[in-house]
Amino acid sequence: MSQHTKISGTLVLAMGAFLACGAAIARQESQPATVPATVPTAPAASPAPGPMTAPVSAASAAPTSSSASPGPAPAASNPSPAPNVEERGAMLVEGEKRFATNCGRCHQSPHHFPPRMMATVVRHMRVRATITDADMRLILLYLTQ
Amino acid sequence: MCGVPTLSARGGRSGWLWVVLLATLLVAPAIQAQSDCPDISAITPAPVFQMGTGFVTTFPGGTPSLGPLINPVLLVPVGSNWLIEARGDLESSIAPPPGGGGFTGSLQTNVDYLQLDYIANKYMTVTVGRFLTPFGIYNERLYPIWIRDLQTDPLILPIEGGAYGASTGAMVRGGFDATSSVEINYAAFFSSNSTIQNLQSDRAFGFRSGIFLPGPRLEVGGSFEHLLQDYRKNTFGFHFEWQPRPLPLDIRSEYARSWVGSGYWIEGAYKLSQVPVWRDALRHVQMVARMQQFYEGPGWEDGEPWVNTNMFEYGLNYYIRDDIRFVSSYGRQFAPERGNMNVWTLGLTYRLAMPIGPGDIR
Repeated sequence: MSQHTKISGTLVLAMGAFLACGAAIARQESQPATVPATVPTAPAASPAPGPMTAPVSAASAAPTSSSASPGPAPAASNPSPAPNVEERGAMLVEGEKRFATNCGRCHQSPHHFPPRMMATVVRHMRVRATITDADMRLILLYLTQ
Repeated sequence: MCGVPTLSARGGRSGWLWVVLLATLLVAPAIQAQSDCPDISAITPAPVFQMGTGFVTTFPGGTPSLGPLINPVLLVPVGSNWLIEARGDLESSIAPPPGGGGFTGSLQTNVDYLQLDYIANKYMTVTVGRFLTPFGIYNERLYPIWIRDLQTDPLILPIEGGAYGASTGAMVRGGFDATSSVEINYAAFFSSNSTIQNLQSDRAFGFRSGIFLPGPRLEVGGSFEHLLQDYRKNTFGFHFEWQPRPLPLDIRSEYARSWVGSGYWIEGAYKLSQVPVWRDALRHVQMVARMQQFYEGPGWEDGEPWVNTNMFEYGLNYYIRDDIRFVSSYGRQFAPERGNMNVWTLGLTYRLAMPIGPGDIR
C-alpha cells in the first residue's frame, strides 16, 4: 500500500516538474522563429498565433503588388522559380483556411514552434488525421511563416 | 492553387476516381508527389518530444479518485518519407479502498503505439508496428487528454477500440481530394495476436473510411472490424463530425455495435468567443455537453459497462493558454441494474512539445 502511495506521489511530483519545465520552454519557444531561407520573407508579418488568437488575416497575408516586399524578385530565366509574392500570399491564406478546417476540428491553435519542429508535427498529423498531401504542405507553409 | 486540381477535374467522371485509386494503391511507390503545392523540402524535420499530461480528479458516486496521467510522445522523422512515432501511457487511479482508509493506487503503464510510417505517395501511408486501431474518431483523434473536451471516456470506447485500443501488424491509410469540395480518408489494417506485456493486441482486420466536406466542415464515415480469434465477432460503427463555419461550435457523434453491446454518444462543444460581453475572459471558456447510451448485448468482455446505461454530462473548460486548460464537468449516470450516480470531474491538462537532438532547430 505504501509503495503505491510512493509511486503516486512520485508521479505527481514528476508532473509538477514537467509543468514548470514545460512552461519555461514554451515561453522560450514563443519567440518568433526565423523563416526558411528558401521562402521569401512575408511582408507585414503578423505576430505568432498565440492562444486563442486570430491567425493571420487575408488582408495581412496577401500583399498587394504595391506592398514593399523584402523578398527577392524571382528571376524570369529560372526554370523552376519560387512562387512570387502574390502566389505565396494566396498560399498563406489558403494555408490558414486549411489549418482552421483540418487542425481546428480537434484542437486549439498551437504555439508558433520553430519550422523544423513544425515540419515533424505536421508529418505526424498527416498520418494521424489522414490529412491530404496538399493540405499538409499549405498548413506547414502557413505555420512556418 | 495547390490541391485544387482534383481527380474528377482531370478525369471527368467519378468512376475514374476508383480506377485511379486502385491503380494508385497498386503502384504506390512509383508515384511521386507532383503538384504546384509549396515546396517544403527545404525544411528538415527535427525529432520532437511531446507530452500530454493532466491531473483529473473524478467523483463517481461521491467517492474521490485522483487521476494523474502522463502521455509521452516521441516523433523521429527519417528522411523525407519516414516517421517513427511512439506514445506511452503512465497513469494511476488513487482512491480510498471500499472499506475506508487512506488513498491507494498503483501505476499502470502501457504502450499506446510504437509504429514506423512510410509516406509512399500523396495518397497512401504504410504503417507497421503497434498502432491505434482505426475505428471511428475518438480512439485515434480525440483520446489525448489535452484534446478531449470531457475527461470521461465514452461508454462505447471499449467497443470501438477493442480490448486494448491498439493493434499490432500493418496498416495503410491516407487522404486525398476526390473533388474540389470532397476529401476522402481511409485506413485498412491487419493485426496479429500479441500477448506481450503492455503490447497486447487481438488478431483482427478492419477498415475505416470517411468523407470530409471542407466547405461545411462536415465528416461522416464508417468503420468495420472482424476479430479472427475467440468468438470471431464483427464490430461496426459510424461517426459524424461537424464544425459549422459561422460558429465556434463542434458537434461530434459516434455509434458502435458489436456482440457485447451497442451504443452512441453525441457531444457539442461551444466556445464563448462570440459573446459580446467580457470578451477577454469569455473567449477562453468552452461549454460542453454530451449525451450517450449503451445497450447491453449477448456477450461481454472486461471493461464493458455490461448493463444498459444512459449518461449525460455538462462540462466547462477554461483555456489558460492554448496548452494549459482547466477542465470540469458534471454528469449523471443512469444504470438501473448497477445504480444511478453522479460523476464529477475537476482537473488541469497540459501539453508540452519540444525539439530534441543536436543542431539548429530553426
